[in-house]
Amino acid sequence: MSFQNLSIRRKLTLITMLTSSIALLLSSASFLIYDLISFRHLLTEDLTTQAEIIGYNSAAAMAFKDEPAATATLSALRVKGDIVAAVLYSPDGTMFAQYFSNDNTLPTFLPSRSQEEGYRFKGRYLEVWHEVTLNGEPLGTLFLQSDMRQWSTRAKRYAGICLGFVLISGFFAFLVSAKLQRVISGPIVHLEDTVRMVSATKNYEVRAVKSYSDEIGSLIDGFNTMLSDIQQRDTALRGANDELQTRTQELEQEISHRKQAQEELLKAKYVAEEASRAKSTFLANMSHELRTPLNAIIGYSEMLEEEAQDSGTEAAVQDLQKIKSAGKHLLALINDVLDLSKIEAGKMSLHLEMFDVSGMIEEIVTTLQPAIEKNKNTLGVRLAEDVGMMRADITKVRQILFNLLSNACKFTDHGTISVDVDQRTVEGLAWLRFRVTDSGIGISAKQQTNLFQEFAQADTSIARKYGGTGLGLAITHRFVQLMKGRIEVESQPGEGSMFTVHIPAQVTPETVGPTATEGSSDASDAIADMQTGRDTILVIDDDAAVRELMTRFLMKLGFSVLTVANGEEGVRLAKQVHPVLITLDVVMPECDGWTILSKLKADPELSKVPVIMVTIVDNEAKGFDLGASNYLIKPVDRERLAVLIEKHRITRSKAITGIDTVSKSFLSHGNKRGEVGAEASEKVSHAENLAGRR
Amino acid sequence: MPKILLVEDNEMNRDMLSRRLERRGHSVVMAHDGEQGLLLAGTEMPDLILMDISLPIMDGCEVTRRLKADKRTRHIPVIALTAHALVTDRVKAIGAGCDDYDTKPIEFSRLSEKIHNCLAEKKAL
Repeated sequence: MSFQNLSIRRKLTLITMLTSSIALLLSSASFLIYDLISFRHLLTEDLTTQAEIIGYNSAAAMAFKDEPAATATLSALRVKGDIVAAVLYSPDGTMFAQYFSNDNTLPTFLPSRSQEEGYRFKGRYLEVWHEVTLNGEPLGTLFLQSDMRQWSTRAKRYAGICLGFVLISGFFAFLVSAKLQRVISGPIVHLEDTVRMVSATKNYEVRAVKSYSDEIGSLIDGFNTMLSDIQQRDTALRGANDELQTRTQELEQEISHRKQAQEELLKAKYVAEEASRAKSTFLANMSHELRTPLNAIIGYSEMLEEEAQDSGTEAAVQDLQKIKSAGKHLLALINDVLDLSKIEAGKMSLHLEMFDVSGMIEEIVTTLQPAIEKNKNTLGVRLAEDVGMMRADITKVRQILFNLLSNACKFTDHGTISVDVDQRTVEGLAWLRFRVTDSGIGISAKQQTNLFQEFAQADTSIARKYGGTGLGLAITHRFVQLMKGRIEVESQPGEGSMFTVHIPAQVTPETVGPTATEGSSDASDAIADMQTGRDTILVIDDDAAVRELMTRFLMKLGFSVLTVANGEEGVRLAKQVHPVLITLDVVMPECDGWTILSKLKADPELSKVPVIMVTIVDNEAKGFDLGASNYLIKPVDRERLAVLIEKHRITRSKAITGIDTVSKSFLSHGNKRGEVGAEASEKVSHAENLAGRR
Repeated sequence: MPKILLVEDNEMNRDMLSRRLERRGHSVVMAHDGEQGLLLAGTEMPDLILMDISLPIMDGCEVTRRLKADKRTRHIPVIALTAHALVTDRVKAIGAGCDDYDTKPIEFSRLSEKIHNCLAEKKAL
């Protein structure tokens, strides 16, 4: 174990002892050295004195060459135990007399001749040379040799004393330092114990005890402060942790609540959807169930009416008419409710086609004639010159105008009703504006606010007086919205009303509904989607019967059909609607088919439209020369015509399915024949029955 | 005098329609279900058939499909009568081969015109 890793207690003890021992050793050594030096000096002086005495005593013997006397003198040195050898040299340098101590250990060498006076150390021996004189006369030289026995004995003894002293004082230093080091190491050890305990038990309430106000004291103070800081933070942290846990629990509870709520909502949504489906099915079934007996009621009353007319029972005719009228009213109401439920279910789809606006207005006016006359009203129709064709759902446009006009008739007595139609362009889009004005009872501002709401007639008293379901304007409004148009009303009570409807001249195909995605797999919707892309065929023939037959046939094949009797008019229409195909007669009163064919082929806009000649004239070569695609001789072979059209269909972007084809044929049925009630028989058979609107 | 086959299961409707058609100078043969209708079409060879779509035993669409598949009866125009509001029913009827359709409640003058048109078309083409 190296010094650095010793415990602080040992370190302190070691340092103390080492320091004191070194100090003691140094001082002892210096004392010893001083003493030994001075003792040697003493010995030297002593030996020199001895040499002077011996020299003095042996001077006579030297002078008289009395060797035995000299030897006897030298022998007196026997009492000095430390002198091992003494020699007297004659002036010529030879040995005169000599002495050796009793010891047999003779010096290994003796100087053979005398040397200079003085002393010198040789090995462990001290040698003294002294000149023997008598009355100033040099007689010879004395040599003394001492083995310094006293000095070495003294040195040994002194070294032993020093060592003992150092050991004893070291022991005491150990005792004292062991006691005193606790003053420093004690608090540090205590601090260490405290730290160990705190880190082991994580108990931050423990405090180290401060013993003194020295550096360690402030260290302990700092440590305690740190501990209390940690304790505070620990408490705060624990509090925060607890809070966090509480919050987490609360959140978990909240989440499970929400999940539950979500599940409940999903369930509720499912139930609601089920209910909605059930409602739709119920309405469809009800409409069926209600129509069957109505069928009988209306049919029998009509039949009886005819029979009564034949047999001349006038009273019965009137009553039967009332039964019929009531039946038809009921039918209108059922239809309204059904329409509205369809709109709400998002199942009302648009069947877009090109049609002639003036023709449609004409039909409506004809159908409405009885209603107009009923209250002795007069009707004025004004069509702007630029109003021609529009692409929209004719059934719905017709019903919109029909509802507005029949309302006008109902609420106007001995007044005037007018229909104005014009076309205007707003931001590059052509819009048709239909305006129905009457001089009737008018609508107050308050009544206008919920005029287009379902089941909200302007006044409950109106229902009693005029009848109606309150659905007419709501349906009108929804239809207008469906075609991306808008409806406005201006009215003052007693001053009549003015309803204005704006519909795009080219309605875009997207079906609009509150929940258009619901039940979109219905065949009706699929048909509607396909129909929006319906193509138009233009039939140019002066014979009305041919036009009629071609129309029916082509519609069954899935086309929109436009017919025209006049060739020039045909070219103009072709430019307007861009048909996918044109059928053309040759023999026509004003301008013959050959001329028209040339004009069509000369027009860059129309030259690519295939033209099929349908004629009694047998001149195929001329037809092909002028650019006809095919040539058919009347009476028309319908299968052949179908095959030819099928070939031209390749240019159409979308293949048309069987369902598409058949659906188109009947959906547009009757439109060309101008029967308002015909195509509307189911969806919109309001035509005949005007009792009860608004 | 054109002969019309009326296939209709509802007795009241059948009675009423037949009487009114007769008043207009048609001769009327009646069937009360699809099977009988199919049978009578073959034996009576009518000029036109009024076909209710929801019929017992065999529905109107199936009857029409069979009639149109048969060489002998293919030429006879069939007008479907349906009380259903759903477009799909009419699509089915036309898909099965019906030449035209009309919806209940019957608007007699309208039906009358359709009958007239169908007969005229048959003659013309």
